[in-house]
Parts: sequence; structure tokens; C-alpha cells
Amino acid sequence: MQGVLAVFPQLDAVCAAIKDLKAKKVPKVTVYSPTIQHEIDDAIDAPTSVVRVFTLIGASLGVTFGYWISIWCSQYWSLQVGGKAIASWIPYTIMGFEMFVMVGCLSTVAGMFINAGIPRLVTNFGFDKRFTHGDYGIWIETTPDKFAELESTLKAHGAVEVRGER
Amino acid sequence: MATTAKPVQGKIKRPNIPAAGIQVPGVSSFEQVDNELLATLKPSPKWFIGLGVAVAAMLVGASAWTFQIYWGLGNAGYVPPVMWGVYIITFVFWVGIGHAGTLISAILYLFRAGFRTTIYRASEAMTVFAVMTAGLFPIIHIGRPWKFFWLIPYPNWRLLFPQFKSPLLWDVFAISTYLTISATFLYLGLIPDFAVMRDKETNPIRKRIFAMLSLGWKNTDREWRHFAKMYMFLAAFSTPLVLSVHSVVSFDFAMALTPGWHTTIFPPYFVGGAIFSGFAMVWTILIPIRKWWNLEHYVTLNHLDATAKVVLFTSIMVGSGYLSEFFIAWFSGVAPEQEYFWNRVFGQWWWSAWILLLCNMIFPLSLFSQKLRRNPTWLWILSIIINIGMWYERFVIVVPSLSHEFEPWQWSTYMPSWIDMCFLVGSFGWFFMWFLLFIKQMPVIAIAEVKEIVPPKMLHDHGGHH
Repeated sequence: MQGVLAVFPQLDAVCAAIKDLKAKKVPKVTVYSPTIQHEIDDAIDAPTSVVRVFTLIGASLGVTFGYWISIWCSQYWSLQVGGKAIASWIPYTIMGFEMFVMVGCLSTVAGMFINAGIPRLVTNFGFDKRFTHGDYGIWIETTPDKFAELESTLKAHGAVEVRGER
Repeated sequence: MATTAKPVQGKIKRPNIPAAGIQVPGVSSFEQVDNELLATLKPSPKWFIGLGVAVAAMLVGASAWTFQIYWGLGNAGYVPPVMWGVYIITFVFWVGIGHAGTLISAILYLFRAGFRTTIYRASEAMTVFAVMTAGLFPIIHIGRPWKFFWLIPYPNWRLLFPQFKSPLLWDVFAISTYLTISATFLYLGLIPDFAVMRDKETNPIRKRIFAMLSLGWKNTDREWRHFAKMYMFLAAFSTPLVLSVHSVVSFDFAMALTPGWHTTIFPPYFVGGAIFSGFAMVWTILIPIRKWWNLEHYVTLNHLDATAKVVLFTSIMVGSGYLSEFFIAWFSGVAPEQEYFWNRVFGQWWWSAWILLLCNMIFPLSLFSQKLRRNPTWLWILSIIINIGMWYERFVIVVPSLSHEFEPWQWSTYMPSWIDMCFLVGSFGWFFMWFLLFIKQMPVIAIAEVKEIVPPKMLHDHGGHH
């Protein structure tokens, strides 16, 4: 993997650089930000996260499992009380709800991990420690022949450091 | 993450930050946030003293448990028909304490309440450790703790399964789900902060530990995008979960026919009380922390004022619950109910009922005064009063009802044994031990979220920034 890494101290500078790179149709751009900044979301204009699909699937499986385990266990080891249903869906709604929440949440977390690409073992390539503290960054995965052009674009928008990594 | 809304197109401004006048004006840069919040991780003599006291208290409880396991459950102060005592009272007390954390981190997040940002981490940690503490008590209470896994519907050789219509089993599901989700919420919120700590750390061993805990987090746009969505869904799941957990705990009582228990008001009344006591415990732990570690410009008087309003509201809610119970007993015309409620305030247990009424209904009325809402010393004292009151609330629910059921010949009394009291002391030791260990390993205020409400550096002044 090779590319160009730029460091920006200011938020509006990195936003302007992102918009310029988008206008120039530069592919494979990664933006670093010490925290969520809506200006950056606005500049990137990325599609909605698909984590919600994991949530829906997980929550549906969870609620089904919660009801199923209660009903199946009751049927298998039936505790019979006169006039009462062996499997009673009203109290089993508690198990259904708890499993809905538990599996729904855990599958949402799994969805985030899968889509965000974590856990990852290597963090030092195309990355600078300043991005977790106060500075913003742009990493563009590209070939060395485009380094000079991208460097001038990024510096024009206020990058304090631009370096090629390979 | 402090906000959830989609960004507004057009002129660059920060409209989605929950302003509400409760921000952190004393914090001006990301560097300041990193430096001041990471500085809290250095151990101080006060911290060592606190940890020593907590560990000693925890050992008192551990010794009592060892004694009880060896000599049997008969050493607890149970006298038939009072077969639930301090263990169940303390269980409900700690589950209640555990409510404020998820309320602050999830419900206030969805409502975009600005004051949650700097207090949610401590509250979330408090929740996890309070639920861990609460979870011990049913296990202690069953007498043979090594059999507790029988409550789980695991495949076994005789295919024997638990009774899913029992409120005690509902508790198992509710508490284990709540603990899992609260711990997950706490850890996920910490991941960006672990990345900050990883990149600041110079000690190679600690750096490696933080690198593992941060899961290689790099603050990329892709990570933040999915993280924000996940966080919102977790908050959305946790909101009904918070309300359900104490409702389910209240079913332990409300499903029984015992006088004083068999009432539909229990779930909202329990949830209100839980939030009330949870916020009080937030004060108990956060007011000394902000004072001793000079974090008064993060947890400001405005934050305390906002939490005081929540406490006042929930106090009125709980107080209404107390009064409604008396009304319902009178209006029902059911003699044992009426007899029980009369006995509660003017009979055998009058002292405990009046402690709870004073602590939970009368003293919190002081929060109508803005001056007192903004007085940290008073809030800390009030937090102790409320926590005493809320423990007594559970005492009043459990003991007077069981000791004064339908049959007069069966009426009895109850006195906690020294073993019971050791468990109570031990529970506080266990809770504070974990909390104190937590706050020296992980930032007690969320670094990444505070940065979200701090004005970012700009090349040009766009006029829309705070």
C-alpha cells in the first residue's frame, strides 16, 4: 500500500481539501478527525451506514430466540398447573424482549466492527499520532507518480505537512 | 457521541451541537482536553487511601461470605415468614443505582441533553459496577452459590429447564442483558479514548495494552460513520432496556399476592426511584472527583444544576408513588392492605417508613432553591441522604410486607444479623474498589466527546462557531 498523507490543524482547511479532492474525482481518500465533526461528514457526503441492517437481522433473530427458548423449554419440561397454559406468551414476552435487545445490540456492534474494519493489527501506516489528539488528516492511496500533484493540492488548502508513504 | 442529526447543507456552522447553555467554557482546545483528562490517571495519596478503605470493606463482605458458605444460610437474619432480608434489599438498591448511567448515556443522548457529555462516562462505569454488585446478591441469597447456573436454560443431561413464568427467572434475563449491554456501551465509548492514550503513552507495556484495547482505532471517517450509527442504535436499544430492568425487578414483588406488593404502580414507581437513587450516586462519586482533580470546568455548576432538576423531578415522582400506595390501599377497601399500610407508618416499622419519607420526599424539596442546586457541598450531603432513604425504601417494601401478611398469628419481626451487615458493607467496598480502579486506568470524562463540543481550530472565521 502506498499513498500520500497530509496533516491539517484546522477543520475548515481539511473540509475544503476534501471537497476539492472530490471535485477532482480522486479515489481512495481516507479522512482522519480527532472526533466526529459534522463539517467533515458534510464534505465527504458518504452513504448511510449499513450497520442498521445488522441491527435489524440481530434483533429479529434475538426476539425469535427469546420466545422460542421459553416455549420449547416449557413444552419439553412441562410444569402443568390447572387452567393455565403450559407455554404462556405474555410472560415470555420478557424473554423475547431481553433477547431482542441483547442480540440486537451485539449484532450492531459486530456490524460496526465489520464495516469499520476493526480490530486491525497495524495502525502506523498512512497514519499519524496527531490525528488522535488535535489534528485532521487526509490519506490518499495512490501511485508515486501522482504524489507531487496531490501534494500541491493539499498544501494549497493549508496542509502543514504532506508526505508520501510506500 | 454528543449528536446524531444529519449535517445541515450549505453554510458551515455547528447547529447540531446541543448548546442548551450548558457547555464547557473553561475548555478551549483539544490539547487542553487531552492534557487535563489524562492527568487524572496519575494516582494520588487520596486515591490510595480510598482504594485501601474500599478493599478493606470488600474483604469484610468476602469474609462474611466465606463464613456463610461454611456455616450455612441460617446465619443470615431470616425469621419466618421474613425470608427476604438485607440481601434482596441490597440487590434492589444496587440495581437501582445502576440505572442512572444508562439513562444518562442513552436516554439523554437521544434527547440531545448537552449536560450529559462530561458526566456520562463516570455514570456508565458506575452502572456497570453497580449491576456487578447487585448480581452478587441473588447468588449469595440462594445459599449454595455454586448452583446459580441452574437458573440458566442450558442443555443438560436430564433436559430440566427453569420455570419461565417465574419473575426470578425474568430477573436473570433482565440483569444479565443489562450488564452485558451496559459493559458493551462503556467499552465502545472508551475505544477512541484508548486510541488517544495509546498514542500519548510512553511506557511500552501500557502502550501495548492500550493498543490492544483500542482495537487499532485510527479516527478515520469510515470508523466514525459506522461508530456513530452503532452508538445511536445502542442508545435506542438501551432506552427501553433501562425502563424494563427495574420494571422486571419490581415484578419480583408485584406478581405476589403479599399486601403492599400486589400493585400495578410498582414498575413506574421502581423506575423513578432507580433514576432518583442513581443520580444521587452520580453526585456521591462525581462531586469529590471534580473537586480533587480540578475538573470543575468540565463538570460545571450548570451540569450539577441540570442533574439536580432530574433528581427533584424523580423525587416528586417517587413521592407521588408513596402517596398513591396509601390512596390505593384506602380506596381498595381490602382490609389486609389497609392494615399493612397503617402498620407501615404508625405501627411496628414506623421508623423506617419515616426515614424514607424524610429522605426521599422532604429533603429533596430543597432543590426548588436554585442556590442549593448549585451548591456542590449540599448536593453531596443530599446524595448521601437520598441513598440512605432509597435503601430504606427497599427495606420498607421487603420487610414490613413479609412480616405482616394475611394471617395475624404469622406476624413476625426481623433484625439483620451481623453477617447481613457485613455483606452490606462489603457491597460498598466491592463497588468502590472497582470504581476507583477504573478511574485510574481510564479517563473518567470522555475525551473524544468533550472534543466534540470544544470549538475546533479554524483557518477562517465562519461566524457560526461557538
